[in-house]
Parts: sequence; C-alpha cells; structure tokens
Amino acid sequence: MAVTTSGHLPAQAEHEQSKLPWYIRDLHKYLLTFAGLTVMYVGLRLYQGAFGVLAGLDSTEPAFQTHWMRLFHIELGILALVFPALWGYLWLTRDQNLEAIAPKEEIRRYFTLTMWISIYTFAVYWAGSYFAEQDNSWHQVSIRDTPFTANHIIEFYFNFPLYVLLGGSAWLYARTRLPLYAKEISLPLTLAVIGPFMILVSVGFNEWGHTFWFREEFFAAPIHWGFVVGVWFALGVGGILLQQVNRMIELLDKIEDLP
Amino acid sequence: MATTKLLDIPPQPYTGEKARLTRAYDYLILVLALFLFIGAFHLHVALTVGDWDFWLDWKDRQWWPLVTPLMMITFPAAVQAVLWTNFRLPLGATLCVSCLLIGTWITRIFAYHYWNYFPINMVLPATMMPSALVLDVILMLSNSLTVTSIFGGMSFALLFYPSNWPIFGLFHMPVEYGNAQLTLADVFGFQYIRAGMPEYLRIIERGTLRTYGQYATPLSAFCSALLCTLMYPLWWYLGTWFATIRYVKTI
Repeated sequence: MAVTTSGHLPAQAEHEQSKLPWYIRDLHKYLLTFAGLTVMYVGLRLYQGAFGVLAGLDSTEPAFQTHWMRLFHIELGILALVFPALWGYLWLTRDQNLEAIAPKEEIRRYFTLTMWISIYTFAVYWAGSYFAEQDNSWHQVSIRDTPFTANHIIEFYFNFPLYVLLGGSAWLYARTRLPLYAKEISLPLTLAVIGPFMILVSVGFNEWGHTFWFREEFFAAPIHWGFVVGVWFALGVGGILLQQVNRMIELLDKIEDLP
Repeated sequence: MATTKLLDIPPQPYTGEKARLTRAYDYLILVLALFLFIGAFHLHVALTVGDWDFWLDWKDRQWWPLVTPLMMITFPAAVQAVLWTNFRLPLGATLCVSCLLIGTWITRIFAYHYWNYFPINMVLPATMMPSALVLDVILMLSNSLTVTSIFGGMSFALLFYPSNWPIFGLFHMPVEYGNAQLTLADVFGFQYIRAGMPEYLRIIERGTLRTYGQYATPLSAFCSALLCTLMYPLWWYLGTWFATIRYVKTI
C-alpha cells in the first residue's frame, strides 16, 4: 500500500525505459487526461446541440425525461463511483515514509502536483468560462421551468462536482506525497480548492433565488455573486506557485547539475 | 510606495539539466495559468459585468463604460501583485485580459452563435487590451503601487471607450423604427427576442440620457477612472493576501 521514497522506486525501472526526463515522468498521463477531458466536454456540448432544442425546452415533456433527466442520473452515477475511487486511491497509495524522500523524487512530485493543479484549472475553465456563460445564452432562448435545465444538468450537477473532485485530488496528492504539505497544511492550496468548492454550494442560493425570479434579466444580479466570491479564491494559486518555487530552489541546490 | 522584494534568485543561472528542468516547469505553469485565468477571470466578469458585455444593445453610455473597467481591473491588479513583485514579469494585466478574450470569444461563437443562433455582431465582447497594456507599462516603468493606482487606474478606465468605439460605433447609427428614433443596436434587441429580458429593458439607456447629448460618456468614463484608482490598490492587496505562502496546523 505504502510507497517508499528512497531512490529505488518501483516506477524507476519503468522510467529508465522511457525517453522522458525523470522530472516529467507523468507527462503522458497528464496529456492523456487533458485529451480525455476535452473529448468529454466537447461531447457534452455536442449532445446539447443535438437535444437542447429537440427535447430540452419543456421539462414536463416525456422527451425531457428521456434525454435530460436520464443524463442527469448517469452523471450522478459516474460521480458516485469516481469520487471515492480517485480519492480512495490517492489515500491508500500515500507515502508513509516521507522523511526519507530524496531531493530528485521530491522535485518530480512537485512537477506532478503542478500537473494535477493544471488539470484542475482545465476543469475550472470549462465550468467557469464556457458552460457558465452558455447558461445565459440558453436561458435567453428557453423558458426556465426547472432547476434541471439542459445547461444546468451539465454545468451545475456535473462540471462543478468534477472540478471539486480534481481540486480535492490535487490537495490530497500534495498532502500525502510532499513533506512540506504533509507536515502542515498549505493555506493557499486550501484556499484555491475550498473557494471554488463554495461555488458548488452557491448553486443552492442561486436556485432558491430563481424560484422567485426565474429570468436572467441581469446576469450580474446579486443572486449570482456567491459564485463570484468563490472564484476569487482561485487567486490562491499564486501562493502555491511561490511555495513551490521557494522549495524547488532549495531542492535544486541539493542535486548535481548534469550537462 | 515601491513594490516589495523579489524571490531569492540563485546567484548563478542554471546551465545543464537544471536549466531544462526549470524551463519545463515554466511551460507547465503557463498552461496552468492559461486555463486558470480564462476560467476564473471570465466567471468573475460574466457575473459582474454580465449583460453589458454580452449584448450589443446593453453597451450604453451610462453603465457600460463605468462597470466594465471597474470590474475588469480586479484580477489584473491581483495578478500583477504576484508576477511583478516576485518575478519582475510586467504582464499580469495583459495575461488576464488576453485569457478573458480567449474565453469570451470561444463562448460567444459556440454558445451564443452556433447553439442559439444569436448573430455574432449582437454578442461581440468588448476589449480591454489597450488598457491592460498601458497598465502593465506604467507598473513596469514606475515600479510604484501609488503611481500605478493613480495613473494606471485612470488610464485603464479612460482608454476603454476609445478602444471600443471602432468596434461598436457603427451600431450607434440612428434608425427610425416604429415612428421612434432608435440605434441599430436597439433594433437588434427588438428583433432577437430574449426569453429572460423583459419589455422594460428593451431600451437599455435611460430616457433622460438620450437628451444629455455627448456628455454622458465622458462623465461615466471619468467616474470609472476615479473608482479604478481605488479598486486597483484594493485588488493589489487582495492578490497579495491570496498569494500567501503560509502553512497552517489546522483548517
């Protein structure tokens, strides 16, 4: 279960066959995750294009149940599986011998943490930029008669939990594999994960407000400001960068500069 | 007030593997920052500037020149506080605004135009690029929070309307519609009915404003300039606070 941290990691033999430098050993996984997420998000957008107008305008229609509520239940099922699986994996494979970590291995893990945070920000892009503003577009052509509209089903109930999953994974990775983050809790990393998590919680306030006032008459209306305050916390990433750079400068001083 | 000190940079630049390693890290950070600022800054702008940036007929002379710079100077100030102070990178504002424009253009094309058939002219985003460039240059040349707050903040707001006039000026052409004088932008609003936009918002500018002649825009712009000089340092310190390097025992 536990991963040891000395120079002889099981993955190191595997790495010796790879052409990638040791510090970006996880690059393939990183790029594959990007590709997988891109296919998924574009697929969801194409689904909206195919079934938004066809079956997504009236929530009382049977077609709405077939095409949209079924998708909602599938999303919930996927999230219910992926959340415990990924967080459980990160916890169960944690490093229980962090005191013995070699400088090179620690540097490599900082690269992998940066990849985790990068994947997290990619999910924040889709949730905070594309599908968020698309909410306004869709609700200006459809009558909003349910909190489960054709865009909400993807944005609120899938994209938001997904970036929470990925942000939480980055936090767990740091906490379980990097000495500084294991010894104490990084405040900027925690802020950068908790703040956007509160955006998901703000859905409750937003939808409660829309029970009085269904329209998007002003997208900048106060019932949306809970989302705004949550996203400010993403600025905590600046603090993570400073923590990492400071630590990596220390670690680089401990290793030889090969040609 | 001068900005604070840099990180401790190694005395000798790396040359071999360490140089390649740090460059690889830079690229990772660039990708991370790109998506972070598209996602975070775009959400902030969409939910604070919102309709003034989405719709052509909302681009009025009273609120649009006030709200847009005021809400868009926020993230640039916070990011400058980290990138300039620690890394001497004079590009915080330009980075944020470039990311914002990438995000808004993708959304306007694929979410508004291709999904819901709004004409692209009706949903063109405004640009803050000239304002951001000037804000970065003023910080770089002055290395002063005070000077950048006053002159950078003012420039950021005052450059907004002239920068956008070449894009949106043509839509302010007067037209006669239903025995009334409207602008071309107003007609877009009448022709493309929006489910969430009630009748009393079909003409965005207030009645008296249209008899106020040419003075409404500069008044809004100078009001925005004043507020931006205050908003800039507020967000500078907010950026500094979020970019803390503290570790805590419990949360």
